[in-house]
Amino acid sequence: MKEVLIVDDAAFMRASIRIMLEKNGFKVVGEAENGLKGVEKYKELRPEIVTMDITMPEMDGIEALKAIKEFDPMAKVVMLTAMGQEPMVMDAVMSGAKSFIVKPFKEEVVVQTLKKVLVQQ
Amino acid sequence: MFTISDRSTYEPMLDIFIFETVKQLEQLEQLVICTEKSNCYTENAINEIFRIMHTIKGSAAMMLFDNISMLAHTIEDLFYFLREEKPRDIDCAALSDLVLEGVDFIKVEVDKIKNGHKADGNAADLSKKIRSFLSILKEHGGSPASSDVNKQLQDVKQKYYISQDKTAAAAGKNAFRALLHFEEGCGMEHIRAYSVVHNLRNVSTELNYIPENVIASDESVEVIRKEGFTIYIKTDLTYGEINELLQHTVFLKELALTQMDDPEPVNEIPQKKHIMLEDDGVEAPKLQKEEATVSSGLQQSLISVNVNKLDRLMDLVGEMVIAEAMVTQNPDLKGLELHNFQKAARQLKKITSELQDMVMSVRMIPISATFHKMHRIVRDMCRKLNKEVQLELIGEETEVDKNIIEHISDPLMHLIRNSIDHGIEAAEDRKLKGKPQSGTITLTAQNAGSDVVITVRDDGKGLNREKILQRAKEHGLIHKPEEEMSDKEVYSLIFLPGFSTKDNISEFSGRGVGMDVVVKNIETVGGSVSVDSTAGAGATITMKIPLTLAIIDGMNIKVGSAMYTIPTIAIKESFRAEKKNIIIDPDGNEMIMVRGQCYPVLRLHERFRVKTDVTDIPKGIIVMVENREDYICMYADELVGEQQVVVKTLPSYIRNMRRIRGLAGCTLLGDGRISLILDIAGLVEK
Repeated sequence: MKEVLIVDDAAFMRASIRIMLEKNGFKVVGEAENGLKGVEKYKELRPEIVTMDITMPEMDGIEALKAIKEFDPMAKVVMLTAMGQEPMVMDAVMSGAKSFIVKPFKEEVVVQTLKKVLVQQ
Repeated sequence: MFTISDRSTYEPMLDIFIFETVKQLEQLEQLVICTEKSNCYTENAINEIFRIMHTIKGSAAMMLFDNISMLAHTIEDLFYFLREEKPRDIDCAALSDLVLEGVDFIKVEVDKIKNGHKADGNAADLSKKIRSFLSILKEHGGSPASSDVNKQLQDVKQKYYISQDKTAAAAGKNAFRALLHFEEGCGMEHIRAYSVVHNLRNVSTELNYIPENVIASDESVEVIRKEGFTIYIKTDLTYGEINELLQHTVFLKELALTQMDDPEPVNEIPQKKHIMLEDDGVEAPKLQKEEATVSSGLQQSLISVNVNKLDRLMDLVGEMVIAEAMVTQNPDLKGLELHNFQKAARQLKKITSELQDMVMSVRMIPISATFHKMHRIVRDMCRKLNKEVQLELIGEETEVDKNIIEHISDPLMHLIRNSIDHGIEAAEDRKLKGKPQSGTITLTAQNAGSDVVITVRDDGKGLNREKILQRAKEHGLIHKPEEEMSDKEVYSLIFLPGFSTKDNISEFSGRGVGMDVVVKNIETVGGSVSVDSTAGAGATITMKIPLTLAIIDGMNIKVGSAMYTIPTIAIKESFRAEKKNIIIDPDGNEMIMVRGQCYPVLRLHERFRVKTDVTDIPKGIIVMVENREDYICMYADELVGEQQVVVKTLPSYIRNMRRIRGLAGCTLLGDGRISLILDIAGLVEK
């Protein structure tokens, strides 16, 4: 089973993603509610893939992405974003985000994105 | 579009959505009200509000509550502008009004959702108001502002492009043309396209693409959707390798990769541009941070639990307390000497009582959230009535059972409205009287034994004895000569149903309900309300509420073959009466003389129509109980003993048949018998 870490400040989003992923054979190994904790959890759990919200308190998703990438350049991070955040998504892509999901999202979109990213080298 | 169509997925999501949204709205409201006090929006507050609205927008959109999502989006936009452009001279009051109006709208919608209704409110007008506020800000704001995404994208773009000299160094062996189509509905196709380019930059020596202004404009999204995204690339990689790389693109629908024989054609691409990407990531659009607001260390050790589970746990512990009594006080054991059994029983008792304390403490939550809600009430009232009032909170960390907290929010609101409306004078009047211009309402909570005492004190004009008496007379509420009534008795008249001194019921404290509703609410949770006042200096309303409803200390009494339980807290004393102290008044009512005072006697066997042999007063026992300074002497056969009892509501088939006055519920005794818990307030009431 593919191990996923979910980083999002909204409990609702975390639960949504968790339910969607668990239904599709992923294993959610951890959740974090801000970037800072997301980075910590990444180092601790070494998941195969991370879903990362952008707007979060303490440390936003872009900073967290950069920190994770610095720690592990091979890290696979998928950003969660909303319309209107294009500049930040750009920044995330430049900083090594493997892909991104636009909110509101459907189950298939999340699953497909993660599966696709997981087979990338 | 159905985002979450599966019902089994939907329902738990809905719970979380409601829970989280309500929490965030509360947080937001506090933020706005604090901000109002300091009279400006700090960077931190703006960030927080932006973030909360962003979260609500996303969550609501997932749950298909489009009206909520849309409104949240509008507010998010507004705060985005505030965050990015930091305009000066904002009309803080107007801004707060807009945000609070938005909060109210979402609250109402969430309430509808919670109650299973459709969230059908229309926020279009409010959104329009917010947008026009934003456009005014944009016009007058200090900096030439534009939160336009495109503009920013251009900024980003300019940063990303570098001179073409860098690319000239090496030339790839192979040239390819790739045409990519993305799947419909994946969103932000232009950025997806750009990320493909970004991923190719390390393996390519030359890279061009159409549309070339891919990240600069929204039009490119449309172009990519319709015509696909074309990349020309020179690279050392083989066809297979490039193909493999591109195939892994997320949401790739179609890929047409062709090798071009002549390495030159790359140059013939119309409006060709050399592009290379800067190696270092570009500075992220910074989200300003002041100091961190949330302490991160604490939260991880907390989990949220469904209240129903706690209720169930409480029930189970209650059952266990009863079961324990059933075992240890089992009639079969009577007269036996069981040393080891007693030892084990003591251990069991110790553990059950610890468990009980623990469960109770889990259900306790600080009253602060309820108190803080009052800031909003004070604010709204002050604005409408044009008064100045400070709200002071004392003892907000006091903990009360969750069920009880839910019952005190409304009464508190009502009392505060009353204080501001009727108690606190207008600023000019206060000045004339030599009081500080702004009034103060103090909310205090403190523990007192197994009760929590909540007071609402204002420094307004206080209650007017004459006015109250006059009004009470008009409504026929006085049964005693006026001169005999103490001030406190007179003030207590305001709690009677049908009493209202204000001739014109104002929009706020009126609402067609009086103080009697407050009293009723508090009494349903077993509490009591009292009032005190000093003319010219203000009034104090005190509410005494039990910490918890579930388990009370009770005194069991026997009447005939029936058992009753009286909450120990209500008992003043119990004694055997002598015949000479019994008086019959002219109406034939029995009274009893205790230390020179006369109290009415209530024969429980008559009240509840129970057969008993003990009808002669000196043979039975008198229990004097008090409710709001009214005393009554209850007559029962005998006292059985004191114990903690688990309060159960009467079964619904009894409640549905008729409301039985004087009974608060029932409980199971250790020997398995049922005891009815007496509702003292109901019995004392004439």
